[in-house]
Amino acid sequence: MKKILFIIIALGAFTYAQAQDDIVLSGKELFGSITARQIGPALMSGRITDLVGHPTNDKVLYVGAAGGGIWRSVDGGSSFNSIFDKHTQSIGALAIDPKNPDMVIWAGTGETWTRNSTSVGDGLYKTTDGGSNWQKVGFDGVDLRISSIQINPNNTDEVYVGVLGPLWGDSDKRGVYKTNDGGKTWEKLLAGKPDVGCSDLILDPNDPTILYAAFWQFRRTAWSFNSGGENSALYKSTDSGKTWNKIHNGFPKGDLGRFAIAIAPSNSTILYAAVEAKEGKGLYKSTDAGKSWEYLNKDFGLVVRPFYFSRIVVDPRNPDILLKGGLFGSISQDGGKTFKGMGRMHADIHDYWFDIHNSERLYAATDGGLYRSWNRGTTMEMVNDLPLSQFYHISVDNAEPYNIYGGLQDNGSWYGPSSSPGGIEARDWNSVGYGDGFRVYRHPEKNIIYSEMQGAQGVWRYDVEKNKTSDVKPFQEEGQPKLRFNWNAAMALSPTSPDRFYLASQFLHKSDDMGSNWKIISPDLTTNDPAKQNQEESGGISQDNSGAENHCTIFTISESPLDENIIWVGTDDGNVQVTQDGGANWINVIANIPDLPKNTWCYQVAASNFKKGSAYAVFEGHTTNDNATYLYKTTDFGKTWVSLVKDNINGFARSIQEDYESENLLFLGTEFGLYATIDGGDHWSKFTNNMPATAVHSIALQRKTSDLVLGTHGRGVIIIDNISPLRALSQEVLRKDVYFFDSKPYVMKEESGFGGGSNGSQFIGRNPSRSAQIVYYLKKRHTFGKMNIDIQDANGNKVTSIDAVKQKGINIAKWNYNMKAPKVAKGKTFSFGGFASPRVPAGTYKVVMTKGKKTYTKDIEVQYDPKSGLSSEDRKLQQETMMKLYNMTQELAYMVYELDETIDYATKVATANPKSKKKATVLTNDLNSLKETLVITTGDNYVGSAEDQLREKISNLYSVIVSNYDRPSNSQLANLKVITKRFNEAKEEFSRIKNKQVGKLEKSAFSVQMEALKVKPYDEFID
Amino acid sequence: MKLKITTLVVLLALGSFSYAQTVDKIIDTYFENIGGADNFRALEGISMKASVNAQGMDIPLEMVQLKGGKQLVKFELQGKKLTQLAFDGEVAWGHNFMTMQAEKQDSIATENLKRLSGDFPDPFLDYKDKGYKAELVGDETVEGVECFKIKLTKKPTIVDDKEEEDVSFYFFDKENFVPIVMQSEIKTGQMKGMVSQSTFSDYEEVDGLYFPFSMMQGLKDQPGQTIKIESITLNPEVDKLEFVFPEE
Repeated sequence: MKKILFIIIALGAFTYAQAQDDIVLSGKELFGSITARQIGPALMSGRITDLVGHPTNDKVLYVGAAGGGIWRSVDGGSSFNSIFDKHTQSIGALAIDPKNPDMVIWAGTGETWTRNSTSVGDGLYKTTDGGSNWQKVGFDGVDLRISSIQINPNNTDEVYVGVLGPLWGDSDKRGVYKTNDGGKTWEKLLAGKPDVGCSDLILDPNDPTILYAAFWQFRRTAWSFNSGGENSALYKSTDSGKTWNKIHNGFPKGDLGRFAIAIAPSNSTILYAAVEAKEGKGLYKSTDAGKSWEYLNKDFGLVVRPFYFSRIVVDPRNPDILLKGGLFGSISQDGGKTFKGMGRMHADIHDYWFDIHNSERLYAATDGGLYRSWNRGTTMEMVNDLPLSQFYHISVDNAEPYNIYGGLQDNGSWYGPSSSPGGIEARDWNSVGYGDGFRVYRHPEKNIIYSEMQGAQGVWRYDVEKNKTSDVKPFQEEGQPKLRFNWNAAMALSPTSPDRFYLASQFLHKSDDMGSNWKIISPDLTTNDPAKQNQEESGGISQDNSGAENHCTIFTISESPLDENIIWVGTDDGNVQVTQDGGANWINVIANIPDLPKNTWCYQVAASNFKKGSAYAVFEGHTTNDNATYLYKTTDFGKTWVSLVKDNINGFARSIQEDYESENLLFLGTEFGLYATIDGGDHWSKFTNNMPATAVHSIALQRKTSDLVLGTHGRGVIIIDNISPLRALSQEVLRKDVYFFDSKPYVMKEESGFGGGSNGSQFIGRNPSRSAQIVYYLKKRHTFGKMNIDIQDANGNKVTSIDAVKQKGINIAKWNYNMKAPKVAKGKTFSFGGFASPRVPAGTYKVVMTKGKKTYTKDIEVQYDPKSGLSSEDRKLQQETMMKLYNMTQELAYMVYELDETIDYATKVATANPKSKKKATVLTNDLNSLKETLVITTGDNYVGSAEDQLREKISNLYSVIVSNYDRPSNSQLANLKVITKRFNEAKEEFSRIKNKQVGKLEKSAFSVQMEALKVKPYDEFID
Repeated sequence: MKLKITTLVVLLALGSFSYAQTVDKIIDTYFENIGGADNFRALEGISMKASVNAQGMDIPLEMVQLKGGKQLVKFELQGKKLTQLAFDGEVAWGHNFMTMQAEKQDSIATENLKRLSGDFPDPFLDYKDKGYKAELVGDETVEGVECFKIKLTKKPTIVDDKEEEDVSFYFFDKENFVPIVMQSEIKTGQMKGMVSQSTFSDYEEVDGLYFPFSMMQGLKDQPGQTIKIESITLNPEVDKLEFVFPEE
């Protein structure tokens, strides 16, 4: 029974009845219209793994990212849209069906540039509708990296796939596969070995029966990497993959590593191969389709880090021009004999794409986004619209608007605002660290920022005001062993002591003076396993001791917000240690955690906000090929632990965030997205509202705004504004048809600034809404009958109406604090100032929802911005002045309406009674003369505009008063006097004309049985 | 326990039931529920009075759609009526906001409108006769509601200089069989490649036929703008000249 229930929860689609008939909402039902905001940034972008263009339309380009999914440009790279948000964001290879290139795209997931921090894929996908919907068509399994997809151009249902397979463990799925039916069934053509996968596969475009397959022996652990072995090899088939032969004639003997291979599309006999070897490494060329190889070159650019850079791309028109991925990228224009560097761009180049018509124009995929060249790589320009930034960690400060701090893969450390005039633009972000960036924290009180680079090679304290940086990392002292820092070294602030700063090697280092002086407050808290500390031997054939494999280190630190003496740490080799006396004594509690494989990396430990003995621990074992989710909670200082994981959570987890107010509200970041629970972990829901299935490495919760801020490894910073409604969801609430959530008083922000200078091809992060967010729950989606929301003032007068949102679950309707715009007099052109709506005064308002025959209400409180510094007297004057002009605008509108009606009446009377024609003409002329002084009666809305009249004079002043959050100036008040005088004169003149002439005209009307002049009363006209 | 099992059985049954649906069954049920396909076939035109809220202003709108594709969208600002779009079957035009003069739409946009002339009164009505294709592509939860996701492919649309498939996805509420969300990719302009979304609600009856009286339009996953319909008139009397481009 329990099992069946469980399946239903896992399906995530049903509201079901539990034993107590509890209502459980899941997924989109729970989150309703709470929607994520992707703010990038894109200025440093992120790692791109694969590029592929449309075969006939040179404006269409696809980008596959290391952790940011798939993006399409239809304008040559000026702008991009993501098209793969629902699926794993780690892309290995892309391919476009040459016969149906607008509709059919293949995506092999799992990055193949196998660095330590690489994300994982989960199979091969295909779309047949241009990317709107994707189906998985094979190779299901976590971390099954797909290196190549080759489509037979003559029969596009025939597709070959190279499966590199998992990075972190054995697999029997590696090899070369083929489908003859567009992906329905697969046949394995050439098997790999448990640690040997297909790293590259190419099809001869001129004879699709010919294939080349590179196999690579490799393995990564958390503490080492091995590239190469006796089983790395290059194979060729000339019979569509039925039989294969090794083609090593001319290659070095002995163990080999990773190959980069390419065929010249314009001459299939020419092949290039970059070979990783102890001796004879470098570039080889074959001019006889692989029968023999000639050794050409061992430049640094050709042999550097083959696991990271093994891509050669040959000009489609010229077999002598080839590009090689590398630290800076290389180009040869003499068939591989010599190379020069590419133009300046971000380091670490993984792939290239030549324009299909013009080889001068090409693209490069780097660790820092996409670059484009118009001159064959001599100069490169960055594409500014790809928010692929790969955050390792993020944090927030307490400023208003708050800032977000974080470090990125190969892109330093940064901070930027959560909101900015005109949107969050590239120029809003500030650099605060070099190299690979990881943890960045803002001092809780001072304008000091801490940041670091890989392996704690730099630990910076940056004084923002003085623009002064100090490297404050601790060094080895007498009697101490060598300090071991993780690549992504643990740092933490203290929630209790503002100047305290923690840093961890295998020891916990504590500073109470912002890093100036350090004290070690623990023994070695790791397993200190010597077998995991031989990093100088790491790399295999090519030594690769970058520090990325440093192991047996402390990875996470958390001081309890309730007691500074309680500190938790977790280590990368699977320890969780806790002290309750500020570090004098430590207890390793790892053995108390049930069902956790030994030595599983503790990615985050977090002391609870509610109870001293409570903490959460997140473990992830993907570096041992264990992709399970591990999240535990203790309430007794680690003596006992309970798993909070449920089966519907997908992906190994790295981050946990407990709410500050509701102990049962938790957020969990996994390799494939964000999950939330409102009942302490009994049920979890995946958050998918504008939230891609990207790896959530880090989560922060801003206290003042209750904004959940996610550091993703591939899609930048993603913010879910104000998660507080999730705190209030109780069974009582869920049973109601309609429920308005309580809100703190709404503050009408009175900031206004200048921004929005970015051009159309730059990514701009959306700002949060400044409107009052009126949050309500609907038990059912409103589909039939009327539903409206009005705002009323304290006296029950309607102020305005707002757009209702009608989803099942949580809904957010927005009110911008404005009342209705005034009714403006009709003229020949528009009075632009009259489009402004005034803000309401602070006070209590009523939200009135009419839904079918029922009405639901909620009182809300609206406050002035306390930061504006305006006195209540100033505000009163502003409000009065604004409303004087507002009312004058409407009164003038009515006057002009009445005037127009009178002219219309006069025309009709003159027609009906020709004797009255003269009277009518005089009246009409007098009224038209008056009207010309009231509104513009000629010209257009642009440079053909006429001289301003009374309407424009009123609205010019009105719009300034409305948009200034300030006391009206003497000049403005003086102008009001002038306008008021003129308005009163106009009113008098209108009355005079009416009194003198309309009665006479009506008499003429009566004589031909016409009625008196009839105009709508003012209130009816205004409504 | 008994209650629980019953609930489960019902839920499971509903689940399997939904997969047995075919696209035509869904569309047939939809027309049955909203007043009958024959009654929609008999419609000659509809006119709607509506309003849209922009920065505190309720902007009145007037929309007319006639069999054969003639259509009109007018709005009123500061007492002035402007035509946003008028199409007489041959020429599409609208008023320039600056000069308030009528200007013709470019020929590609006009051709694309012509190709949609069979959409009235509902693109799903006799969709096969129009050369449209409808497919049930799966289930998806939108607006918190479990829906059938139906892909509708109309006649190809012209984008720049070539034809592309005109695809939109409709989400039919499984309970009521009416569409509550429609999504389609924007094919041209600065927002090209993004997905536009319309949500439909406040279905109400007009002389036996049901129409959504509220439509929120915008980009998928971003706040949209609601068009509130105040009244709908079936087979309205309209001045045909209103659709025609006013030659000077």
